[in-house]
Amino acid sequence: MSYRLGVDIGGTFTDLALLDENSGGVTIHKLLTTPKEPAQAVLQGMIELLAMAKAPVQEITALIHGTTLVTNAVIERKGSLCAMIVTKGFRDVLSIGAENRYDQFDMRLRYPEPLVSRPLIFEIDERIGPDGKVRKALDEAELRAILTKARAAGAEALAVCLLHSYVEPKHEQRIKEIATKEFPGFYVSASSDVLPFMREFERWTTTTMNAYVARMMDLYIQKLESGLQREKFAGRFYIMTSNGGTVTPDTARTYPVRLLESGPAAGALMSAHVSRLLGLPDLLSFDMGGTTAKGALIVGHEPQKKYELEVAHIHEHKTGSGFTVKIPVIDMVEIGMGGGSIAGIDERGVIKVGPRSAGAEPGPACYGQDGQLPTITDANLLLGFLDPDFFLGGRMKLDRAAAEQAIMGRLGKPLGIEAMHAAWGIHQTANEGMAQAFRLHAAERGHDYRSFAMTAFGGSGPLHAARIARILRIPHVVFPVGAGVMSAFGLLVSPLSFETVLSRTLAIDGLDDKTLDAAFAAPIAEATAFLERAGLSRKDIRIRRRLDMRYRGQGYEIEILLPDPSGKSTRVSELGDLFGKEYERVFSTSFLREPLEIVNFKVEAVGPAPKMQAGYRLLRQAEGAALKGHRMVYQPESQGLVSCPVYDRAALKPADMLEGPALIEEKESTSIINAGDRITVDAGMNLVAEIGVAERR
Amino acid sequence: MATIDPVLLGIMWDRLNAITSEMTAALIRTSFSTIVRESYDLSVVVFDAKGRALAQGRLSAPGHSGTAANTIRYVMDNFPVAEMLPGDLFITNDPWHGTGHVYDMNFVRPVFRKNRLIGFTFSDTHMPDMGGLGFSANIADKFAEGLHLPAVRLIRDGKVDPSIMAIIRSNVRVSEQVVGDIMANVTCNELGERLLLEFMDEYRLTDLGALGDAIIGKSEAAMREAIARIPNGIYENRMQIEGLDGSLTLACRCTVKDGTIAVDFAGSDRIVAGAINVPFCYTRAMAIFALRLLTVPNLPANEGSIGPLSFSAPDNCILNALPPAPTAGRHVVGHYVTPLVMGAFADALPERVQAQSGMVDLINVQGKVVGGREMSNMFFASGGYGAMDGMDGMPTLATPASMKIIPIEVWETLTGITIESKRLLPDSGGAGKYRGGLGQEVIMRNDPGHPLTLSFFGRQTDFAPQGVRGGKPGTPHRYTIEGKSVHAIGRSTLDANEKLVVILPGGGGYGDPKQRDPDSVRRDVRDGFVSAEGARRDYGIDVVRSPAGEKA
Repeated sequence: MSYRLGVDIGGTFTDLALLDENSGGVTIHKLLTTPKEPAQAVLQGMIELLAMAKAPVQEITALIHGTTLVTNAVIERKGSLCAMIVTKGFRDVLSIGAENRYDQFDMRLRYPEPLVSRPLIFEIDERIGPDGKVRKALDEAELRAILTKARAAGAEALAVCLLHSYVEPKHEQRIKEIATKEFPGFYVSASSDVLPFMREFERWTTTTMNAYVARMMDLYIQKLESGLQREKFAGRFYIMTSNGGTVTPDTARTYPVRLLESGPAAGALMSAHVSRLLGLPDLLSFDMGGTTAKGALIVGHEPQKKYELEVAHIHEHKTGSGFTVKIPVIDMVEIGMGGGSIAGIDERGVIKVGPRSAGAEPGPACYGQDGQLPTITDANLLLGFLDPDFFLGGRMKLDRAAAEQAIMGRLGKPLGIEAMHAAWGIHQTANEGMAQAFRLHAAERGHDYRSFAMTAFGGSGPLHAARIARILRIPHVVFPVGAGVMSAFGLLVSPLSFETVLSRTLAIDGLDDKTLDAAFAAPIAEATAFLERAGLSRKDIRIRRRLDMRYRGQGYEIEILLPDPSGKSTRVSELGDLFGKEYERVFSTSFLREPLEIVNFKVEAVGPAPKMQAGYRLLRQAEGAALKGHRMVYQPESQGLVSCPVYDRAALKPADMLEGPALIEEKESTSIINAGDRITVDAGMNLVAEIGVAERR
Repeated sequence: MATIDPVLLGIMWDRLNAITSEMTAALIRTSFSTIVRESYDLSVVVFDAKGRALAQGRLSAPGHSGTAANTIRYVMDNFPVAEMLPGDLFITNDPWHGTGHVYDMNFVRPVFRKNRLIGFTFSDTHMPDMGGLGFSANIADKFAEGLHLPAVRLIRDGKVDPSIMAIIRSNVRVSEQVVGDIMANVTCNELGERLLLEFMDEYRLTDLGALGDAIIGKSEAAMREAIARIPNGIYENRMQIEGLDGSLTLACRCTVKDGTIAVDFAGSDRIVAGAINVPFCYTRAMAIFALRLLTVPNLPANEGSIGPLSFSAPDNCILNALPPAPTAGRHVVGHYVTPLVMGAFADALPERVQAQSGMVDLINVQGKVVGGREMSNMFFASGGYGAMDGMDGMPTLATPASMKIIPIEVWETLTGITIESKRLLPDSGGAGKYRGGLGQEVIMRNDPGHPLTLSFFGRQTDFAPQGVRGGKPGTPHRYTIEGKSVHAIGRSTLDANEKLVVILPGGGGYGDPKQRDPDSVRRDVRDGFVSAEGARRDYGIDVVRSPAGEKA
């Protein structure tokens, strides 16, 4: 027997999923996160889960770990005291920022304070030109003086950020060498290592964040590794990164900033897996939890990539109010809309939902913890979508009267409408808000979501998915098996991978195939080496190459994916066509008669995807009838409450078919379909809903 | 549908706003112009059949607030509605019926449902080029500014008029990009039409009349209610700004009466010979922007929210320039309208007003890179943000317009010009209970070895950003080449190896500096934003500099 274990630490819960690699059977477990000692919940959860599955720890071949620890450390400002060394003349790059206002109408907008305080930012006399030539040599005496000062000030970490180091890293590398050798104990991050992208503000922000969290992650991984050793764990230990791939603990220690948002990435990865299993190449992965909702587009079974992520928003969840970091990530849109989002009446006199959240304390009014403000969860309770006695599988009783009072007081009375109607207003306003965000996300990327399917997960996702799909005219919604621990599932299907980038501007005119291959050689060798060190052999490593290209002189680039190089390598002569095709897709226009140039060379090395050919099934089937009873549920089509069947998801059987309106309950969430929708249970126990099927008949 | 259910109204209203967002996203994605992609020099609006604005994209430029309504009327005056067909599209870049200069092209598409006109979609963007002498404030002749198109029907019944396209192509420099941007706007309006019709189908609306009445009614009521909190009376302001030669006076007189505001710009100086004159549509837009910020900033822009506002100005004062005055650089003066109007309410709305910010600075750099290839690039940089009640100004953040900068590494790669340093300027933020944001100093060296031509759009050299309510002004703007000052709105040559120093102004302070929290002064000294001497001089506080890293 052999098992794979996925463990995802979230803000509230630590989720675990154990896959029996031979049978495809999965056992899942959920326990509260232990914020002070996060490793504790991981180890305790593992012991409990192994007992449930009657699996010996020695038979776990791999443990794959995802965590929000890095994100939280940045949000809560719990990283190291960090110093920074920059090129002379550029001490203020982080404070100056991009110089643009992200909201024209918000005069009181705010930006995050840099992670390094200004007195700890030191300028050093050196200069490298955009061509990589040294214009001014590094002053090593000055460097030693700086390091002495930084040490005296108590700095634990050091970010080394010089101009144009993405072309020529030698000054940064020399600083790193001296700092490491002569001043041992600093956690040193050099911007040319973290991700050698052109654009100093983002690269330096990313590097300071890497340095800021390095010590904390090092200690955490150490603790977890020794704990696993104590429990006689003998398998391999991998950590999930933001791009949907996993890395070894050593790589995670070197590049902790790449662990940002790895939980949500795992969710999107799982959606891609579902897309493959169900033969739905294009889908919208929809995850809605307590404070935010996230969407990701899966196109041709693949999650979409990008190389920029904004984290730790400090002002009303507004885009622009967070740190912009450059790391390889799965492209996702995040909206400040979750079960705890607060509803109110805005300046116009109509309902507004979010982005403020009641959080866990006091939480929604129905939690009975003195929350006075109505939230989405309160609305969902009043509408009959949630069972007050079966929230989190009955672990928490919900107070319907408190929900009604909050909704009536804040919305019903001022608008002159009934509480039920106001609750519906909250629910549907939230749906419209999320649908709008997904539409925009797709529009910005040139995709037409109307032919997409949707996967819905997270605590609140399955409650809202069918309505959002209706608004977006999405015909199919999948409520996958294990929706409540989707990220932990995603960890089980993630391959080892490493990505790197080389920023180098090269004109296509006069470029030959050899030069193109040569430019890729170094990043390919680097990415491959990371995977080989993790134990993969070269023949199992697949290389994906992407180029950012643009018309010379234009300020924006188009990314093209080069065909798999395992056979012949790409000819320079093919680049024009590849660019043209992508250009036409993005701009809906034929291309210009201008010379082309390459700006970035991107390389991704990926190991084999873990085997799950048998699919997977949840080892939690219940006996007996699936129909648990009936509940009164609000249906706007009937303008009131309708008696609605409630099913136990665990007792459903493959090929079962349910007509909406219906509620399907499981411990972690409730799925809803509405009048006109229909659900079929597939062989893998996924619920596949057809939206508005009745209207189309 | 006499009254709309409040839940449904909110949802439908959000959807109309969402349609403008989606149109904006498509426009930005497909535009070539950097100023559109990075600085959102654009607007997107949805109108009903009467030409009433119902929703405007949130990412629309402040200088385009409410201008589209005039554009629609202008098109309707020239092309009677009865003659419009499904699939038509009208364009114009007339400065007086558009956004104040020829570089913004405006697009109007009538939307039909079952052969009945139900509304219009609208977009405008800053074009990559419009011919003429190119983007500059140093143009004395309107006809040298570029191609001028009155309202014309670019698309009739779904077919592009090839002769209009040919005229445009033969008048502009980068015709491929200009045509690309025109088609981006066409696509945006086609998308708008599709989304609008889908929306109407979904909610079974036969027209937008009742929904429009509700949106306009609610918005107007909210605006009136906010204005009604300002006591009736007259609120005035004047300011001195620099012109092309000598200073200019701008003046406004705002009459608040029972939930309405009338703004008159009498007392402002006459138009000038250069292209910094402001057509009234732009003056009005920048004033609307100020009044929205002062009242209900989050209220979506539409016919209703502008309803209680009215504006007037004497003919051919610089804020109401009539044809044929040149207007290419109308923003150079027009941006001041926002602090001018806002400043009138400094005492009436103390929690809403902002001290003046260091405005955004543009330099159009033309010349050759190493190797001799021609290049033309815009350099942007911003001064400090004006302080507000309870809030220090952010460093290097401009109002009323802001521009995303080109990274140093990108700039050096693109131009070969070296940026020697780019630093915040200590003590540049105006002192106050809340300190103005810091300006910056940028030092550039001409390394490519060829002379460069620099066209400047600088401001606040002779008149630094003012503080409010007792706050002190920030430090002024300045350009120097090899140590000699050059004109802020002029054109100069930077010879090989010469240095240009750009000093961006600090933002004005808010409130009496003596009331500033001493800990904030100490923290500013620790961070190097204020010098020890500055702390003593401006705040009367002696600070002993603490060593690096010590927590304040």
